[in-house]
Amino acid sequence: MTQQALDVFQVIADPNRRYILELLSEKSLSINALAENFDMSRPAVSKHIKALHTAGFISIEDIGRERHCILNQDGFLELQEWINYFDSFWKNKLKNLETLLNKKK
Amino acid sequence: MQRDIKHTWYFDHAPEHIWDYLTKPELLSQWLMESDFKPIVGHTFMFNTRPKVKLGFDGLIYCEVLEVKPFTRLSYTWKGGPGKGKITLDSVVVWTLIPKESGTELVLEHKGFTGMKNFLSYLIMNKGWQKIKTRLAVHLDKTYK
Repeated sequence: MTQQALDVFQVIADPNRRYILELLSEKSLSINALAENFDMSRPAVSKHIKALHTAGFISIEDIGRERHCILNQDGFLELQEWINYFDSFWKNKLKNLETLLNKKK
Repeated sequence: MQRDIKHTWYFDHAPEHIWDYLTKPELLSQWLMESDFKPIVGHTFMFNTRPKVKLGFDGLIYCEVLEVKPFTRLSYTWKGGPGKGKITLDSVVVWTLIPKESGTELVLEHKGFTGMKNFLSYLIMNKGWQKIKTRLAVHLDKTYK
């Protein structure tokens, strides 16, 4: 049976999948570590992880021998990087202005 | 999470003097950046700074003047991206000048860093998960019942 692509709401309609996201919002976990939180079989957990991954909620990285699930924070981190960058940008520029105006006095 | 940037500086100069430094291209270039700025609402102009490749920023900032209140308030849009006109940063810069003692308090606000793309992650990162769950529950009840 082929698994149909689910929309975002369908993906998190499942309480098990919501619980996976909740666990991952605390920290990244290996698939094995995630599976320990559930009564179901590991293949069943893997299936939920696959659905979350396909929908873009999580990314999966191989760390050593383990596959790690990471909450997808791309959008969030990108935004934070812009803010951090321009925060120091403005600090430097205002310092320039101060130096410039002090010279004129 | 920090949503806005705000800096307040005091200068021992009159607001009119500071205003010149915010609005005259030949003065702006001395402390901020080269630009073709004009203090006219609706005027579009560009700033040009060093690219930041890691951030997906080609160094070009596209702006449009939103508000000009001489010696008091100035604001413009502040957009940028990786190049070829693609915009990934959409924000607004607001300058406010407040006369204080013998000089001016200059307030810079850089804000409006928002986008739906970041909303879900934002809520999750800020322990707003409970809110999502509640909202989702409402949505799901409507959809699947």
